[in-house]
Amino acid sequence: MNSTTVLEVRDLVVKFRLRGRVLTAIRGASLELYEGEALAIVGESGSGKSVFTKTFIGMLDQNGWVDSGSIDFEGRDLTRQRTEGEWMGLRGRKIAMVFQDPMTSLNPLVPVGRQIGEVLTLHKGMTKDQARSAVVELLDRVGIPEPASRSRQLPHEYSGGMRQRAVIAMAIAAGPRILICDEPTTALDVTIQAQILKLVKALQKDFGFTTIYITHDLGVVANVADRVAVMYAGKIVETGTAEEIFYDARHPYTWALLSSLPQLGVKGQNLYSIAGTPPNLFNEIKGDAFAPRNPRAQKIDFEYEPPMFEVSPTHHAATWLLDPRSPKVDPPPAIQAMRARYQGRAS
Amino acid sequence: MLRYAFKRLSQSLVTLFIVVSFVFLLMRLLPIEGYFGDRFQKMSKEAIQAGLQKMGLLDPWYQQLGHFYSDLLRGDLGVSNIYRRDVPITKILAPRIPYSVGFGLVAVVVAMSVGLTMGVSMAKHKDRIQDRLGTFYIVFAHAVPLAVYLLFVQLYGTSLFKLPLLFDKYQPLSWILPGISMSLNGIAFYAMWMRRYMVDELSKDYVKLARAKGLSSGAIMVRHVMRNAYVPMAQYLPAAILTTIGGSIYIESLYSIPGMGGLLVDVIQRQDNTMVQALVLIFSSIGILGLFLGDLLMAFFDPRIRLVKGEGSR
Amino acid sequence: MMRAPDAEAMKAIDSRLFEFADYDASAGERAGYSNYSYWRSTLGMFLAKRSSRLFLWMLGILLLFTFVQPFLPGQRDPTTIFNDPATGMQYRNVPPGGQFWLGTNSIGQDLWARIWSGTRTSLLIGLSVGLAEMLIGIAFGALWGYVRRLDRVMTEIYNVLDNIPTTVLLMLLAYIMKPSFQTMVIAMCSVGWLGLARFVRNQIVIIRDREYNLASRCLGTPTRRIIAKNLLPYLVSVIMLQTALSIPGTIGWEVFLTYIGLGLPVSIPSLGNLVNEGRMIMMSEELRYQLIFPTVLLSIITISFYVLGNAFSDASDPRNHT
Repeated sequence: MNSTTVLEVRDLVVKFRLRGRVLTAIRGASLELYEGEALAIVGESGSGKSVFTKTFIGMLDQNGWVDSGSIDFEGRDLTRQRTEGEWMGLRGRKIAMVFQDPMTSLNPLVPVGRQIGEVLTLHKGMTKDQARSAVVELLDRVGIPEPASRSRQLPHEYSGGMRQRAVIAMAIAAGPRILICDEPTTALDVTIQAQILKLVKALQKDFGFTTIYITHDLGVVANVADRVAVMYAGKIVETGTAEEIFYDARHPYTWALLSSLPQLGVKGQNLYSIAGTPPNLFNEIKGDAFAPRNPRAQKIDFEYEPPMFEVSPTHHAATWLLDPRSPKVDPPPAIQAMRARYQGRAS
Repeated sequence: MLRYAFKRLSQSLVTLFIVVSFVFLLMRLLPIEGYFGDRFQKMSKEAIQAGLQKMGLLDPWYQQLGHFYSDLLRGDLGVSNIYRRDVPITKILAPRIPYSVGFGLVAVVVAMSVGLTMGVSMAKHKDRIQDRLGTFYIVFAHAVPLAVYLLFVQLYGTSLFKLPLLFDKYQPLSWILPGISMSLNGIAFYAMWMRRYMVDELSKDYVKLARAKGLSSGAIMVRHVMRNAYVPMAQYLPAAILTTIGGSIYIESLYSIPGMGGLLVDVIQRQDNTMVQALVLIFSSIGILGLFLGDLLMAFFDPRIRLVKGEGSR
Repeated sequence: MMRAPDAEAMKAIDSRLFEFADYDASAGERAGYSNYSYWRSTLGMFLAKRSSRLFLWMLGILLLFTFVQPFLPGQRDPTTIFNDPATGMQYRNVPPGGQFWLGTNSIGQDLWARIWSGTRTSLLIGLSVGLAEMLIGIAFGALWGYVRRLDRVMTEIYNVLDNIPTTVLLMLLAYIMKPSFQTMVIAMCSVGWLGLARFVRNQIVIIRDREYNLASRCLGTPTRRIIAKNLLPYLVSVIMLQTALSIPGTIGWEVFLTYIGLGLPVSIPSLGNLVNEGRMIMMSEELRYQLIFPTVLLSIITISFYVLGNAFSDASDPRNHT
């Protein structure tokens, strides 16, 4: 894997004002993104994974702001960008985004072709005619049959999978360096999901962009990701290659997340689910945010926030379990079983 | 599109038929004095019966309805009883229509251009001064009865700006106050709905995606949001034109404009039953026509409607 | 790269802290979001707005005064014509101040007494209409939504009534019946119940067919509970809005009907009659007070009801709750 850094986030803190109270959605998250890789950010709803990536294109909701930290991209700090003009040179051109629900992300009253064409006239300076033929090529490239006539149709004449293809065509139209896919397949049928993921993978190879997947679906992660970042309560708690996360996870939250995969369940036993709810982000969080839901939590978890410990040069986790002073804690049986299977296969 | 239009048209015709019949039968309950006027007091019971008989008002209701429709198809709305005795109603109405239509159109054009602009600017500057002022106006126009605040328009328009109190077709200045009065309510109406639709559209996902593609907020407003917000507005447009024409009943009367609305007030005050009947039927038909055209216009702009709204409700 | 843990700070940590803590399963839940109560949130949202509180107070005081006014000392009868004992002539158009607080009208009746009496009449019409609309609307809507066989007929009835312009239908009904309090109420509520009926009907259809209610029923929730939890909150807020808006609405219609001569008999003081009396003499500047006093009070009442109705309806929309 290439190890040139495209984007580097340091200690990012994002806050929102909601009915007079301040909520900290991102509590000091750090992340690096390498050229050409596919990174998956996983976490449950409300963990802040969407908000986190929205800061890369300056699309936080009006009541939200970056409180501190930095996002380095192409030699500038994105958190210092203020004006709409600065962002417009970036959005869609350098960093593009695909949203969750293709049924609603297209304007229902504007022909699909024209919506894609907008990107080309805007970022590539094409004339309307040039854009029209380029759009047909793009639609063809993302696998839409009869692209010429399809480009004149309105979104409601497309199926869900085709709409997502169109949205992807729109995202890659300007040849961005980074493509962010926010839950790209959640709203689609299982069979279509696989096709869409395959399409993005193929496009990534051809166009050479870097992909960030945001998902809570570990199946998607296993399918597409080179590297995984696990997010909990507004922090990245563990990062590593896909293999490291799946077979050698260290953070109790990652364990819990993996244990709730149906594939890991034991026949006849209830499917594992993580007890409790994510913390209320309106409150000050002391120590490890996951501690109250962790049956094996230590006293220190309630007192101090764990730093990022290095497991290997590519694998880091923020848990006191990695401190030499901690008692040895074995991962849950399901994780151990998975690890054993993997080692058996490897040797 | 044609199929939808045809379907919608036949639906409207059925509704029109039911409404007209319903109103006609309701009219049979009108006080019988209204068929005779001042003579009523002096007439004997027999003379009244004979009179009613002669007008066909003692026939069974279905015969009356049948007569009414056969007359209607020949373009005959009957004759006036009191207002201008025995003059065919169509003759009385003909010269009045241009006034009502003229004022109605002017009012709609003014109300739409001002109201829509106001609504767009309110949505653009949501929660800021433009929005607050606009909301203040909308609340005022909706909460204070039209019949009350239009009095003050007339009062201060004439006393402060020295504009004519009553309409006079030869004096252009006298067109101003009724014109303004007719637009005021429409402005509030358009501004409120336009703002609401714009705000609705702005919260939609496609706006998020359009921003993510790098479009400026101005371009998103013009190319996506406004365009989409106009579609539901289109639905109200014909109905608004027609109800402004019809709804000017109060204003036409207030300024003595010789239109149809003012006439309705006149004939109600003078209890001319046949005239009341004719005007009520006309205004009801205008309402139905407006709804029909509105749906048609909306389907024209938004093809999805043709698919979903095949039948049933409007 | 990731910042290496600060060695000094790390050493300083008490190593006894590296023991297991007691696990309290409920602690994980406690950290989550607070309990949500629909009615508390609605009321909270409603009262949180300064304008709502202001209008609520103003309207409360105004309504209270309207209804106790006749029992206060020194009040005059609203329909008595007063004569000047010195001349034996009527106190015509006496300007405000002195003997008559708000002056007298053109035949020597006390405007102050008439305004409050008129407000009582108009509010009474408004409340009767609101109540009747509510009853008819709910009954009709429930039948419409609940009995599937009636759906077509009811929809047709709705379409017919909805297609006739309200103004015209109202004028027609008032014209057919003789001018009186009952006429007014009947005419107004025969046009006003439509909206509510349609709303109730739609809600019932939703209760019947919406997936979350279907799911809830599959889990064994009794219909009673679904109605109480899902229909009632919506219904109550819509009824509140409807009733609140029916007061400015009816007052407006009353002024209009009075203007075209189909209002209450002139012997009954009402806001419509007062505005109409004021209108006739509004062009003479010194008599204008007879129009201005009633319209000011009328506007305060209608605006308060309108603003409060909308504020409550906004507050009762769960989408606006935190």
